[in-house]
Amino acid sequence: MGKVIASEFVKIKRKMIVFLVFLGPFGVVSLELVNFWLRYDWLTNLYKDNLWRGLIGEVMMLSIPSLMLGLTIVTSMIANIEHQTNAWKQVLALPVSKAKIFTGKLLLSGMLLFVSCMLLFGGTIILGILLKFGTDIPFLYVIKMCFFPLFSAMPFVALQIWLSIVCKNQAIPLMVGIVGTAVSMFSITFPDWVPWKWPLLINEWGNPIYSVIAGLILAMVVYAGGLLDFIRRDVK
Amino acid sequence: MNDYIIETNGLTKKYGSTYVVNQVDLKVKKGEIYGFLGPNGAGKTTTIRMVLGLARPTKGSIHIFGKDMKKDKLSVLKKVGSLVEYPSYYGHLTAYENLEAVRILLDAPKSRIDEVLSIVRLTNDAKRPVKGFSLGMKQRLGIATALLGNPELLILDEPTNGLDPSGIIEIRELIKSMPKEHGITILVSSHLLSEMEQMATQVGIISKGKMIFQDSISTLRQRSSSKIRIKVSDTEAVSKKLLSWGYKVGSNENYIFVENTSDREIAEIIRKLVNHQCSIYRVEEEKKSLEQIFLELTGGEASL
Repeated sequence: MGKVIASEFVKIKRKMIVFLVFLGPFGVVSLELVNFWLRYDWLTNLYKDNLWRGLIGEVMMLSIPSLMLGLTIVTSMIANIEHQTNAWKQVLALPVSKAKIFTGKLLLSGMLLFVSCMLLFGGTIILGILLKFGTDIPFLYVIKMCFFPLFSAMPFVALQIWLSIVCKNQAIPLMVGIVGTAVSMFSITFPDWVPWKWPLLINEWGNPIYSVIAGLILAMVVYAGGLLDFIRRDVK
Repeated sequence: MNDYIIETNGLTKKYGSTYVVNQVDLKVKKGEIYGFLGPNGAGKTTTIRMVLGLARPTKGSIHIFGKDMKKDKLSVLKKVGSLVEYPSYYGHLTAYENLEAVRILLDAPKSRIDEVLSIVRLTNDAKRPVKGFSLGMKQRLGIATALLGNPELLILDEPTNGLDPSGIIEIRELIKSMPKEHGITILVSSHLLSEMEQMATQVGIISKGKMIFQDSISTLRQRSSSKIRIKVSDTEAVSKKLLSWGYKVGSNENYIFVENTSDREIAEIIRKLVNHQCSIYRVEEEKKSLEQIFLELTGGEASL
């Protein structure tokens, strides 16, 4: 499995993917910088009880849609590396199982998005310090709010990587992903069982971990389904 | 087991209700360059895809190195290099990086990259992005990729498609040198018989999904029986005369044809005609080219 991942990393060299991984968190943090800079007094007054929580809440309003959109684009680009010159027939004629190739693509997507979340975490901390919100930083809370949305969104990563690999025409996975992003932006009023609500980490029990658990379980199911379908298919 | 490197039995692939490949028994012996011929759309690529495990046969079995592809796919593929149709490459990467991406998966030593680059003479272009390569260079890179894992069997599907004459010669020489220098068995497909004539030792001809000929290239050549064509002053009268003498001849407006004759018989015919005051303008041998045999075998499907 390590070999497959190493090979995948060689393939994304000099691709826009790496740039996107930086652009996402950088964009979110810099927009929040502008947001707080323009309405500093009003926002600090609004969140005067807990400035850090206020900042993180604002960050998440942007970071979750960017995550949903980002995972759509990243998975599509990763699959498209093979689609461009139909390298599938080359890769799959190598002595590597189809399951490993599929899993490798999914893991690569997950790893890249994880890097994005790490950058978001770092960026948020720096932003808070720049805004003079004090050094009493709620690290654990920041970590949760930066990484948990990704874990809860894993079913979508699995869905998108499957669609991107199976459809040669990337318009299909992109459309599904963009519609999903739009849906997730209004998902706060949805019942708890709707997966598009999970990345918001809001549920009846008031504990984000339930959204994460639900996300990871469904991700396994979607992954297994996508994998079985991919193995069954003939290579074009 | 026998000594076939590739052996398929009743290999069949059905898309919907049409048989793309129908009961094909492919047999490739060790050290051969097996030319897999057929017009476009005859089922060559589909057969090759099944042999490589890219597509699943509807029916039939495939054994490579005596192992069942269904059970031992990965261990078989370890010893197989392939290039299917148009070359696959990652345009944004250099030739070296392209090979590196595959090398990691094959677990081959790093030095192997330089070796295969020099075999296909791409060493000087190794550091350039592949998107700027000519088709010939991309094709060579594809062959280099196929050679990375030190394969015992090389499967090349239309490796000279779309190349210019010098590119074709280059690839052909490369293919011909493989069995000699590295002991590799090669299955190469093409729709050009002339090309196969120059490198294959065995040929299989497929048409409309069915294998219609499979034997050595010399057996195929033997089919190219020759006939003698004679042009005389009065074709009709002369051919009647020859028939009345008991020679089996055919004729059209311009020529008289004598088939499957010995030199002695031809000499006899000519002597008799001269004695009967016929003017003989030309005596020519008409040899059926392999192209014609190919066309006859494939039912005249024009694809040369």
